[in-house]
Amino acid sequence: MEQEFRIEERVDEGVPVITVVGEIDVATAPQLRESLHRVIAQGQSTVVLDMLAVTFLDSTALGVLVGGLKRCRELGGELHVVVADARIRKIFEITGLNKVFPLAAALTEVGAP
Amino acid sequence: MNEEGDLAGTDTLGDGDCVVLTFPARGDLVVLARLVASAISTRVGFDIEELEDLRLAVGELCLLALSGSDARHGDLQLEFTVSPEALDISCTLGGAAPATASQSNDGDEAAELSEQILAALVDEHGSEQEDGAVRAWLRKRRKGPLP
Repeated sequence: MEQEFRIEERVDEGVPVITVVGEIDVATAPQLRESLHRVIAQGQSTVVLDMLAVTFLDSTALGVLVGGLKRCRELGGELHVVVADARIRKIFEITGLNKVFPLAAALTEVGAP
Repeated sequence: MNEEGDLAGTDTLGDGDCVVLTFPARGDLVVLARLVASAISTRVGFDIEELEDLRLAVGELCLLALSGSDARHGDLQLEFTVSPEALDISCTLGGAAPATASQSNDGDEAAELSEQILAALVDEHGSEQEDGAVRAWLRKRRKGPLP
């Protein structure tokens, strides 16, 4: 019944990348929050969040992303969100967060291989 | 059930049909509400985009109902009611204690995002307190007749 949910952290050519697979909702968003906090706490102010394999996103997840973005910007960095799926992009658009987040459609757009 | 009383039924829901789902108010179970919303959407003739809208909207309805309370001991009850004009969905949280101050503050931000999402995806929505329980509801109008 439940879809696989997975978070992977890696550094590609100096760029920290967090890859999320599956549905980010009220049940799984805390894991993403922990991951973002952990990566930022390691001294990374700019983070790439690879959401190319994310299949669902709710307001709880958006709240986590906003929190992550604030932390990155406080440190002088940025949270780059990579998302190609039209359904997921629509959620950013209807909440106006597409104007807040630098959204990219491919990892190469944000310097991650 | 269809007109012949065949329990195997049809793959549609008709005017007046009501589906009720109750589950413990836990975040990891909100997926159940989304699954039922998907199943019902196909049975009342919504297209794939409307189905995806409703799946998201029902999840937000659950979050709104949960946001005003410490829901660890409550139950969420969803009612899906079919009419020729629309699909009405309500979500009631019962048996939960009021939220603490910090829970309310966190909930305010999330509730604002939920409100934005619902406003964009459904035709009408709202929430109110009823006899100590939080009830959030939405209405998604149909473009055409019931299948």
